[in-house]
Amino acid sequence: MSTAALVHVVVSGLATGSIYALMAISLVIVYNATRTLNFAQGEMLMVSTFVGWTAHQWLRLPLPLIMLVAVVAAALLGWLIERAVIRHSIAATHFDVLIITLGLSLVLRAAAVLAWTHDEFPFPSFFADRPIALGPVRVAPVSLGIIGGSLLLMLALYGLFRGTRLGRAMRAVAQNQRAARLMGISVERVYSASWILAAVVGGIAGVLIAPVIFLSSKMGLVAINGFTAAVLGGFGSMPGAVVGGMLLGVIENLAPLYLPSGIKHSVPFLLMIAILLVRPSGVLGRARRRKV
Amino acid sequence: MSAALELEDLAVFYGKRRALEGVSLAVGRGEIVTLLGANGSGKSTTLRAISGLVRPARGRIVYEGRDITRAPADAIVAAGITHVPEGREVFPEFTVLENLLVGGHTVARRDVAGRLEAAFRLFPVLRERRLQLGGTLSGGEQQMLAIGRALMARPRLLLLDEPSLGLAPMLARGYVLETGRVVVAGPSAALTEDPRVRTAYLGFAKAAAAR
Repeated sequence: MSTAALVHVVVSGLATGSIYALMAISLVIVYNATRTLNFAQGEMLMVSTFVGWTAHQWLRLPLPLIMLVAVVAAALLGWLIERAVIRHSIAATHFDVLIITLGLSLVLRAAAVLAWTHDEFPFPSFFADRPIALGPVRVAPVSLGIIGGSLLLMLALYGLFRGTRLGRAMRAVAQNQRAARLMGISVERVYSASWILAAVVGGIAGVLIAPVIFLSSKMGLVAINGFTAAVLGGFGSMPGAVVGGMLLGVIENLAPLYLPSGIKHSVPFLLMIAILLVRPSGVLGRARRRKV
Repeated sequence: MSAALELEDLAVFYGKRRALEGVSLAVGRGEIVTLLGANGSGKSTTLRAISGLVRPARGRIVYEGRDITRAPADAIVAAGITHVPEGREVFPEFTVLENLLVGGHTVARRDVAGRLEAAFRLFPVLRERRLQLGGTLSGGEQQMLAIGRALMARPRLLLLDEPSLGLAPMLARGYVLETGRVVVAGPSAALTEDPRVRTAYLGFAKAAAAR
């Protein structure tokens, strides 16, 4: 295969990988705060993207405003779920909360089917359809747009976690909640902020990916690969989530070139099993000691 | 002396286990008070109740005239009480600098730099190690970091759980706890003369037996 074609495949792999990375980051943000695996992350993304699309249908809003509507809808949904459900089950076991978020995902999907049917809808894109040529290499603008948008968002998150009081408080809570309380941090406010932030990251990812995979009540399934990406990178680690997502996206896109084509969707799991056999704590993960 | 902190008949349960049963004590302004007691006698629980980490089942905690019995932990820090926990609980993945900054979480932004400087002057070794991760410090350095971190909020009442630094000579008054109750209270000079304290905590029984 020519280098140009290979570059094309890698670039579109990085684009899908960026979305996986954003999903992985969302899951990690929630996990670090409330120690909850949010199985509803994908469905939250799906609902907020639908809300943005509906605003587009009714009001013919320009795309940046659709993004804004989706982000606000995501933030409200994240806030509401944490406040109404998760906060009350914080004393429950991990297993119980896991079932609760799994249940939430089913409820959200059922509600979306009622509101928006089972159909797939085209979603407006920020980017032109015609591939652009960079020398011999042709890449889809949408791929570059997704990669660029995701990188910007990751940079903003990095700034938030490193440079702000809220970000520092979130990192403190991830390490030791009791010590965080003794510093005067309101751990409840960090829970709330984390769910809102994770939902917003998901909301942006949803608007970026919807033009590619179409808008449908099933699009939340993209979060499964985000989960795989987070495990690959070492669950709990933010840089790990990015590396895991990119790795997964690229390998998933390359695999059909060398392996039977039907294998594409099994690749994430084969990769996850392979990496966990070699490095049980993920690529960038550290073995965490659990406090009793 | 009017008391800055007063505990009245405080009871705390961990599930069904009674950790404190009716502890009353007072700390005056500017006073250094010690709690003595064997493991499990309720020293740490008393401090945790004051700083809002555990909810008392009964009794009252009054600080500077305000009832803080049910106040959340972050409000208690903002009110001027900080707590250096047993085991120090330094944030292992934060640098020394970040540990100190997070200790200043409730501090107005313009005051942070000054507080940081004060902490570095008090513990110069922390300045040298400011970019080192908290988890890689030695035990003594972690103790300094934990105290420096607690001082960032410039507390009017500092709770130290099992400090390994030599604060003993400055003690003014003390209480002895036994299975969740105050059994002896008084000035430190009287405490060191009390036979129960001498046998239990100062090793006199062993000395007597050896003789």
